[in-house]
Amino acid sequence: MATAQPVAKKKGTSRIPLTYVVSLIPVAIALNIVGGQINTALNLPTFLDMIGTAVVAIVLGPWWGALVGALTNIIASFISGPIGLPFAACNVVGALVWGYGVRWGWGKKYWSFFLLNILVAVLVSMTAVPIYVFLFGGATGHFSDMITAAFLAMGQNLLVSVFSSNIIVSLADKIISGFVALAIVEALPAAMTDGIKLPKSTGLTKVLWIVGGIVVGLAIALIMMNTGG
Amino acid sequence: MAKKEVKTVGVKEGIGAGVIGLGLIFLFLPSTIQKIADLEFIASEAFAMLSGSVLVLSIFTILAGLAVMFAKSDEE
Repeated sequence: MATAQPVAKKKGTSRIPLTYVVSLIPVAIALNIVGGQINTALNLPTFLDMIGTAVVAIVLGPWWGALVGALTNIIASFISGPIGLPFAACNVVGALVWGYGVRWGWGKKYWSFFLLNILVAVLVSMTAVPIYVFLFGGATGHFSDMITAAFLAMGQNLLVSVFSSNIIVSLADKIISGFVALAIVEALPAAMTDGIKLPKSTGLTKVLWIVGGIVVGLAIALIMMNTGG
Repeated sequence: MAKKEVKTVGVKEGIGAGVIGLGLIFLFLPSTIQKIADLEFIASEAFAMLSGSVLVLSIFTILAGLAVMFAKSDEE
């Protein structure tokens, strides 16, 4: 007779139980799609479609995160139109930076995790801007188009205007997504997050940092709403 | 009583999954690009958009290849 053993990572190896992958990936994709839909419905100055990607990239690894990012944009392109698919590249970049960043120790302290989110924002923007400019002519109907128009009215060229608006939106979005993902990761069973280099703190310190990170992201988004709206 | 073997996955399988994701994007890209090109506010040609997208995605495919080459597998 077979006995059920507690599912945990093998000590000293990077191998993870298949059950983690099977259970976490669909939930992460659903989280991304729901986040994106809420963002579109409320016309927020963020994207919110990478929270699940961040969770999987941190917990399972960067390339599992890349799979989640790719599947999110493919499925979303069937739900909300074809515009989202070319931006799958951005979701993949985010997964790789979050995943490798945490594995290289950039998530050990809260401030370095904050900087990692900023790095994600910069690299995702660098991927998104050519797609915005060369595929869509600078506008996709997102909130950031209003900020792009404002920069264009100031006399900036299209590439600079799109990058300037996108980096602000991306900063708010990735800081919020990163810290919400960190909150989700902290809430997962300890066996699942064993061996991941995340900030070590307990109780109120942990809550304050996570809430503080989300508040900073929201503050950037609010400033942007007042500027662009 | 026999212990139930827990199936595990490692770095190699993770990269494989990422490559599958990239393959799926490549799979859906041509038809989606045509749909984008058909939109009223799009001025670009489908061929130019497809070329640009494939160029960007090829970088990730190369990165995945490099990751496979340099990944340390537990079986080794």
